[in-house]
Amino acid sequence: MISELLINAFLVTIMLSIAIALIRTRTVIFTVILTSAYSLVAALMFITLDAVDVAFTEASVGAGISTILFLAAMAYLPKKEEESISSEFVPALSCIILGGILIWCSYDLPEIGQLTAPIHQHIAPEYIKGSKEDIGIPNIVTSVLASYRGYDTFGETIVVFTAGVAVLALLQKNPAKKNKSQPKQKIRENA
Amino acid sequence: MHNNPILRISTKILFAPIILFGLYVQFHGDFGPGGGFQAGVIVASAFILYSLVFGIEAGKKLFPSNINLILLALGGIIYGGVGIVSMLLGDEFLAYNILGSSPQSGQHIGILLVEFGVGLTVSNVMIALFNAFASYDKIKEK
Repeated sequence: MISELLINAFLVTIMLSIAIALIRTRTVIFTVILTSAYSLVAALMFITLDAVDVAFTEASVGAGISTILFLAAMAYLPKKEEESISSEFVPALSCIILGGILIWCSYDLPEIGQLTAPIHQHIAPEYIKGSKEDIGIPNIVTSVLASYRGYDTFGETIVVFTAGVAVLALLQKNPAKKNKSQPKQKIRENA
Repeated sequence: MHNNPILRISTKILFAPIILFGLYVQFHGDFGPGGGFQAGVIVASAFILYSLVFGIEAGKKLFPSNINLILLALGGIIYGGVGIVSMLLGDEFLAYNILGSSPQSGQHIGILLVEFGVGLTVSNVMIALFNAFASYDKIKEK
């Protein structure tokens, strides 16, 4: 119990210091690296909550691939963030109010891992019991993701697909212009 | 970066194990943590690493863009196709029970195919995004 508390305190401290560093830095590359570090600590946080699948996704997607994509996109950004915020008072106030509301609401949440919490009463017992009998695979997360909630995962896949296609369409240059300025083979490669 | 021997050799050594780990995460998702999303990202990272070290042109030679775009769409088609096949066999959309001889083996087959579709789409979207960002500069300058 005490070790869990120590680990959580340690992780929260690191997350908080990364967040403060993120606010203070004005260099784009530090922002990207710190965001990646934040994701990695968040992944450790998910492990302490026994959500290994989520932690795995956070580590590979949040800390891994999105950092690379950010770095690839960073080449088209100015190296430094402009300091254009005229007044810091209103943003700070709205952040404090929003944070206060969230902390206030968190007192109404049931304790983590409590069996009588509504989320563990609704449909989860059925999934936990049914996963072995209906589907026969040990990892309940996979059976919920791919079978019980197959529709949602289908939607997620289509969202990833659509987002990818949209970015490709945005980054594509006007084909008429490209014809003039580039050899033919290039166009096919970029298409 | 192209002439650094340490990077080149370590990329060559790491390339196959990264893909192997991706396949392990993909197909072991029924038994341990993992699944299509994570596996797709891991496999994509191998190709992105190759492109980073050997240059975008070499990366495109290894994994051509047109194949990339076809596979990108194929993943979603596999996922939807599993649903449609189960519908044609007389069950509901994405109900896998009918796909196998017993409900459990049907579920196994369905989940395997669906996760494969997810992995295919995710990995190819990531590679396509990286290629698009990396080659955008060249288009702009010319």
